[in-house]
Amino acid sequence: MNKELKRTLIVLAGMCILFVSLVVYISYFQVFKAEAIKNNSYNKRLWINEEKILRGSIIDRNGKILAYSEKSGDTYKRFYNYGNLYSHIIGYSYREYGKVGLELEYNNTLLNINEATPFHELKNIVIPNTEGNTLKLTIDHHLQEYSRNLLKGKKGAIVAMDPKTAEIYSMVSLPDFNLSNLKEEWNAIVEDENSPFLNRATSGLYAPGSTFKVLTAMGILEDPELNKQYECKGSTTIDGYTLEDYGGKAHGNVNLEEALVKSCNSYFADKGVLVGKNKLGEIADNFMINKKIPFDLPTAKSTFPYKESLGKTDIGAASIGQGKVLVTPLNMALIASSIANKGEVLQPILVKEAISPGGKVIKTNHTKKISEGVDIFAANEVKNMMVEVVRRGTGTNAGIKNIRVAGKTGTAENPSGKSHAWFIGFAPADDPQIAVAVVLEEDGTTGGKTAAPIARNIMIEALNTIK
Amino acid sequence: MFKKRINYKVPRNLLVLFELLALFLIFIYDKDNFDKYTFGSGIALIFMIYISSFILLRISTGDNYIFLIATMLISIGIIMIYRIDPALGMKQVIWIGMGIFLFFISYFIVKKIKGWKDWTLLYGGVSIALFVITLLFGTRTKGSLNWINIGRFRFQPTEIIKILLIFLIASYYTNYEKYKEKRFGSYYLIGIVYLFIGFLFVQKDLGTVLIFYSIFLALQFIYEEDRKLILYNVLFFLVSGVAGYFMFSHVRVRFETWINPWKYIDNKGYQITQSLFAIATGGFFGTGIGLGHPDFIPEVHTDFIFSAICEEMGIFTGIGVIMLFLILVYRGFKIAINQDDKFFKIVALGISILFGIQSFIILGGVLKMIPLTGITIPFVSYGGSSMLSSFIALGILQVASEDLDLGEEKYEQGT
Repeated sequence: MNKELKRTLIVLAGMCILFVSLVVYISYFQVFKAEAIKNNSYNKRLWINEEKILRGSIIDRNGKILAYSEKSGDTYKRFYNYGNLYSHIIGYSYREYGKVGLELEYNNTLLNINEATPFHELKNIVIPNTEGNTLKLTIDHHLQEYSRNLLKGKKGAIVAMDPKTAEIYSMVSLPDFNLSNLKEEWNAIVEDENSPFLNRATSGLYAPGSTFKVLTAMGILEDPELNKQYECKGSTTIDGYTLEDYGGKAHGNVNLEEALVKSCNSYFADKGVLVGKNKLGEIADNFMINKKIPFDLPTAKSTFPYKESLGKTDIGAASIGQGKVLVTPLNMALIASSIANKGEVLQPILVKEAISPGGKVIKTNHTKKISEGVDIFAANEVKNMMVEVVRRGTGTNAGIKNIRVAGKTGTAENPSGKSHAWFIGFAPADDPQIAVAVVLEEDGTTGGKTAAPIARNIMIEALNTIK
Repeated sequence: MFKKRINYKVPRNLLVLFELLALFLIFIYDKDNFDKYTFGSGIALIFMIYISSFILLRISTGDNYIFLIATMLISIGIIMIYRIDPALGMKQVIWIGMGIFLFFISYFIVKKIKGWKDWTLLYGGVSIALFVITLLFGTRTKGSLNWINIGRFRFQPTEIIKILLIFLIASYYTNYEKYKEKRFGSYYLIGIVYLFIGFLFVQKDLGTVLIFYSIFLALQFIYEEDRKLILYNVLFFLVSGVAGYFMFSHVRVRFETWINPWKYIDNKGYQITQSLFAIATGGFFGTGIGLGHPDFIPEVHTDFIFSAICEEMGIFTGIGVIMLFLILVYRGFKIAINQDDKFFKIVALGISILFGIQSFIILGGVLKMIPLTGITIPFVSYGGSSMLSSFIALGILQVASEDLDLGEEKYEQGT
C-alpha cells in the first residue's frame, strides 16, 4: 500500500469516527440525559403539553378528594380543597411558580406521561393521552386535620404512621401556607422569616434531645462488658465540661431502665462515652441517620458525624441527643416505628397507589425493609423500658387508660435559647397500631409537658378512627 | 442475483416513495393552507429529482449514489422547512431547482474545460478579491460579517471561497514539485490559507474557520512531504485559538455556553438550550410532523434544522441524517481513491471533507457535543448560497467520480 493511500484511509477513518461519535452521543443523550432536560421548567413544551392533559386527582386513603383539576376554557385549572392542610404534602403546580411536593415528584404519574421508551412513544402517537392518573395517599384526612389542629399556633411538625406497614397517616408541618391563594400571598410567604415553605417533617433538622437516648440505650444493652449500674449526682463532668441533669436533680443509684424512665443525662452521657462513638454511630446508621431516607417527598439527611474526630465531650453530648446530632421528625417517627416493629426499619410510604382513569391500579408502593435497625431482643427491651417511661416516668402525659403506651420525651437545647419539645412513641405496646413523632420548635417547654399530650391525643384518635 | 437487484433504480424509487409519503404528511399537517400551488411544487420537486437522477445515469459513467444521497437529505430538509414556514418552503423549492441546474452546469463546465490544475494564482486571487469585497460592502447578520447584497439577492461569498480553497490546495499539491523548487515554496500554501482564516476571523465567522482549517489540515496530512510543516500548522492553530479565546469575546461566549449553557439560559445560552429541549422532547420517534414546537428555537430553519428534525421525526431520523452524511463522505473518499488524476483526486477528497466536517460541526454543535458555531447543514438547511454551493461541489465530485481521459497524465501516476 502506498503512502498516499494509507494516509487517505487514516483521514477517512477519522471522519468515520467523528460521525460514529455523533451517533453514540445522540443515543447517550436520549437515553441518559433527555429525561431530566425535558422536565426542566424552562422547557416551554412542558406547559403546552400539560395543559392539554387532565391532571389526575389526589385522594386520601379513604377516597376523599384532596386536589383535582377541572376544565376552564381551553385549559385545565387545579383546585386544592383544603387550603393549608396539605401544603407540604401535595404542594402545588402553578405555571408561574412551578411545582413542589407530590405535584412535582409524581408529575409524570399525575399527567400519565410515561418514560420515553419507543413503545410508549408509538402508543402515545396512536392513542393520545388526555387524562392523568389519580394518586391515592396513605394519609387519613380526618387524622391529618386533627393533627394540624393540635399543632395550630405553634411551630413544629408531627408524623403519625402505621409501624407495621410504614404508611404515613398524617404529616403536619407548621407554619404552612394556603395552596388556594398562593398568588396573592406569594411575596409574604417568601419573605416570612419562619419559612413556611420548609417541610419541617421531612426536611427540618432538629437536635433530638433525650429521644435519642433510645438509641444510646441499645448501644449500652449490646455491650455485655458494660456495668449497667450508675450513681447519678445530678451532673457529670467530661473532660472539664459539665453536663447537667434536668433541673440539676440527682437521680441516685440507677440501672438502665431507671435512667431512661427518669431521662438521666449523666447516666447516658457517661455510659455513651464508654460505649464509644463507633458503636453509637453504627446504631444511628442502622436507623437511617447519616443516610437518605427513600421517600415520596424530598428528605433531608439526619446527621451524627461520628466518623469525624469527636472528643469525649462531643460523644457524651451526642449520647443525650445534643451537640452534633441533628434529626428530622420523619426519621424519629421511623425510629419509634422500628422499635414497635421488632427492630426492623421500613421504608415510609406516602403514596399508596396510582390509579388509571379506567380505575385500574397501575402502581402500588409496597412495604419494604430498608435497614436492619436492631435485633428483636434489644428492640423489645427498649420497648418495655419505653412503656415504663409513659407509665411512671417523664412521659406520663402520653398515657392512655387501659392501653399500654411506649414513648420517650425529649427537651432539646439549641442555639435559639428556647428548647424544642419532643415526644416519640407508639401504642398499643403489645400490638402496635400507631407510631408518632411530635416536635414543637423553640417552644421553651419540656417534651413531657407539651409534646406528650399531643402525641397521646393523636394515638387515641388514630386507634379509634382508623381501621 | 442479489447484486443485480440492488441497482440504481431501487433507491431511486424508494426515494420517490419517501417523498410522496412526506408530501402526504404535509398535506395532513397543513390542510388549511394546502392548495394546488403547494401540491404542484411538491410534485414538481419529486419529478425534478427523479428525472435528474435518471438523466445523470445516462450521461455520467461515474458514481450515481452521491446525487441520490444528496436528494434524500434535501427531501428530509424541505419537509421540515415547509412545516416551519410554508413560505420559506416554497422558496427553498426554487433554490433546490436552481441548485440541481447548477449541479449539471458545473458538471459540464468542469468536465469540458481542461487545465484546472494550473490556475493556482487565479483561485487565490479571486478568493482574496471576494474577501475584500465582503469586508467593504458586506452586511452584518447574527454578529457575522459575511453577506453581500446584490439587488434583491443576498449571497455569502465564503460559500464560493470554500470551493476555491479546495481547488487552490489541489492545484498546489498537483504542482507540488514546481512550487517546491522556489524559495520558501513550501510556505506559500500555509501563508495563503492563514490569510483566508484571518479574513474569516475578522468577519467573526468561526464555523467557516474550522471548515477551512480542517480541509487544509487533512489534505496537508495526506500530501505534504515536509512533515514538520504539519506540526507547525497544528501548533500555530492551537496558539492562535488560545489567543483568540482571550482576545475576542465571541469566542469566549461560544466556549462558555458549551461548558454550561444552563447558567445563561435566559440570554446567551438560550438558543442551545432550546435546541436541547427540542431534541430531548422528540425522543426516539419524534412527536410527529406538526406536533412539536421547533418554532421555540431561534434560527431553526437554518443552523438548527437538525434539532427540529430530531424533535418531530425523532432521533432515529436524526441518526439517519448522520448516516447519510457518513455514506456521502465514504463515497467521496472512494471516488478519490479510484481517481487516477491527481488534481481531481485531491478535489474529491477536499469536497468530501467539506461535506463531512461542515455537517459534523453543526450537528455536534446543536447537540452540545462541541462548541456551537453557526453554519448550515449542507443540503438540509434553508439557504440559497449554501444550497447552490453544495450542489456545485456535488457536481464537481460527480466529475471526479468518472474515469477521466486526460491523456498522458494517466501514465505519470501509479508510483
